[in-house]
Amino acid sequence: MQPEKFYYDNKIVRNFGIATVVWGIIGMTVGLIIAMQLYHPAMNMGNQYTTFGRIRPLHTNAVIFAFVGNAIFMGVYYSLQRLLKARMFSDTLSWIHFWGWQLIIIGAVITLPLGLTTSHEYAELEWPIDIAITIIWLVFGFNMFGTIFKRRERHLYVAIWFYIATFVTVAVLHIVNSVELPVSAWKSYYVFAGVQDALVQWWYGHNAVAFFLTTPYLGMMYYFLPKMANRPIYSYKLSILHFWALIFIYIWAGPHHLLYTPLPGWAQSLGVAFSIMLIAPSWGGMINGLLTLRGAWDKVRDDVVLKFMVVGLTAYGMATFEGPMLALKQINAVAHFTDWIIAHVHVGALGWNGFLTFAILYWLIPRIYKTELFSKKLASFHFWIGTLGILFYVVPMYWSGFTQGLMLKEFTPEGMLKYPNFLETTLRILPMHVMRSIGGGMYLFGVLVMTYNLTRTMLQGKLVANEAAQAMPLEPIDSVAKESSWHRTLERKPIQLMVAALLVILVGTFVELMPTMTISSNVPTIASVKPYTPLELQGRDLYIREGCSNCHSQTIRPFRSETERYGEYSKAGEFVYDHPFLWGSKRTGPDLARIGGKYGNAWHYNHLMDPRLMSPGSIMPNYDWLLTQTLDTTSTIPKINAMRKLGVPYAVGYEKVANRDLDKQAQGIADNLYLDHIKVASNKEIIAIIAYLQRMGTDIKASKTITK
Amino acid sequence: MFKQFTEDVSGNQVYLLSALGIFLLFFIVVTILLIRLRKQHIDHMSALPLQDSDINSPNIL
Repeated sequence: MQPEKFYYDNKIVRNFGIATVVWGIIGMTVGLIIAMQLYHPAMNMGNQYTTFGRIRPLHTNAVIFAFVGNAIFMGVYYSLQRLLKARMFSDTLSWIHFWGWQLIIIGAVITLPLGLTTSHEYAELEWPIDIAITIIWLVFGFNMFGTIFKRRERHLYVAIWFYIATFVTVAVLHIVNSVELPVSAWKSYYVFAGVQDALVQWWYGHNAVAFFLTTPYLGMMYYFLPKMANRPIYSYKLSILHFWALIFIYIWAGPHHLLYTPLPGWAQSLGVAFSIMLIAPSWGGMINGLLTLRGAWDKVRDDVVLKFMVVGLTAYGMATFEGPMLALKQINAVAHFTDWIIAHVHVGALGWNGFLTFAILYWLIPRIYKTELFSKKLASFHFWIGTLGILFYVVPMYWSGFTQGLMLKEFTPEGMLKYPNFLETTLRILPMHVMRSIGGGMYLFGVLVMTYNLTRTMLQGKLVANEAAQAMPLEPIDSVAKESSWHRTLERKPIQLMVAALLVILVGTFVELMPTMTISSNVPTIASVKPYTPLELQGRDLYIREGCSNCHSQTIRPFRSETERYGEYSKAGEFVYDHPFLWGSKRTGPDLARIGGKYGNAWHYNHLMDPRLMSPGSIMPNYDWLLTQTLDTTSTIPKINAMRKLGVPYAVGYEKVANRDLDKQAQGIADNLYLDHIKVASNKEIIAIIAYLQRMGTDIKASKTITK
Repeated sequence: MFKQFTEDVSGNQVYLLSALGIFLLFFIVVTILLIRLRKQHIDHMSALPLQDSDINSPNIL
């Protein structure tokens, strides 16, 4: 049999590489801006499109889906072709995949600052973009499986299993967490409400970390690290064991994001138990990577690419040890809602994802341009400033998290809260926030140096767009001897492998999601909880538009330190009409679950116009456009109709009179403001958001009867 | 420290126990699969990333 000649497609790899760098710079720059907004409110730039609440999702989406996303596709398109000894299945699909993904990102860059958001963290994009993501993701999967089918290597290397598991699980996560009912072209409501919506979101959110930030990177590690160190992986058996264990266990751990919330206790405990188990497979991967370098540590001293890999793997080990610790209820009680979590995710994002991406870029770009790296010194400088940047970022954030977490829980000997004013704790941690942005700035500067270095490298070389290769064709299957084990058989059957991975992740998904969705006793209802009035509903959508939940939680945990500060702890039945839930995950400002009735309407009016009038020193941006913008009441009818479809008990035909009720309630608030010498028309947005804020948490104040 | 696991789940131990059971079973199956793999195959698989354009490597093993 003659070897076959073919060409690897390097151009698509190069394109994804450039996109990685460009979006990386943009995503990190937005990150730096929002970091500065937290100690310098003027950085919100005085307009609604650049406030923290709207561009924090832009930062997370840009870094996760644009920077890391493009890096994944760069790594997959390079390694997949070589591991399968075949060119990508279709150049057209590769092209559609590349440009489709960039268009989706541009869609995010446009819609998120406009306030078009679903509010689910890391899934903020509205329904038309959700559909586009699904299509492009399927194009990627089709292209990948097409390549697998025309491969010239019988068995699939472990990196490819990680890619397959990534593809199938991200598809499941994205589709289930995007089940929305469209209200208009750019507005939708999630089908699930309250506790159920929270459970689905954090099942998604946690596994986006697992299957977007972890599994594809582990696959890339299993290909690129042996290449970089020029030795095989330490233990192939360990890689198999930790692959199956990792994808099986990860999917269960989501509820650790919802500890002490109204989520049923058994689901919380399940999440904690599986989070602790996760240490084993995570460290299996880290150890396998680090031990691959055994006997080659002298290379690490000279080779900047390996330095990036070692620090990246170490950061992975630290983050995956810390994660299970944070999932312990006692630690979570202090750490949750504070900067500790921000530190934790940035050890992973800057260390693991960032450094692995940089290592791969430094290794790969010179190879596909058939040249040497322009400057090893600059790369080494990037390594050191990046490492220092991570330290300057995370150490102040840990400090800030401990400080605020403990301050909020401190009581005086007389049994009163020592810091009853939340703002006091915020002001205490501002110096740490300043230091954090210096760390972030150093890290970003390193990326700019890398960009210069890689650009010069590209200019001095020439892209080998189609790299010649040859390999023996696969022999027909009937001439292959019967396999000696099941697993070996599985390694050459991509579809069966995908189905096996799918089944493995569905086990945890079903055990966790199904009971809360189907057994009504898991969400006890409360008789006094009524649907939102039309004005409150409109106000709630403004709350979503402005991204308030990025800084304010809406769930009071059953601790004395919280019930003293905020009021009665939150119950599952309070949220049954909340499409979507708005519990939030971070308290940059205080919890708002029981804000209703706590202050007068005039207080809210002045506070939203300029928070510093009512709370001197507050870091919240001004929301003065709410005072002048007119509420769009044409959307009331479709919104009421959509909510009714989702099971909210608005009477049939109510939509026809909803705006009459809305006007009446708005006029009441405007009249009340007038008593405080505030003249405002009743059709302004501020009226609606005040109505919502004044409603929040008041149902349960009215009656405490809980019916099962 | 582990009080929470036993106290918070009254009547729901079945979830935790079945989860543990499922995982143990799964772990044992994967371990058996691993034990059944041959050294020759393992060596071939772990060498895959290092042999991009090695035309002499046989494609059936």
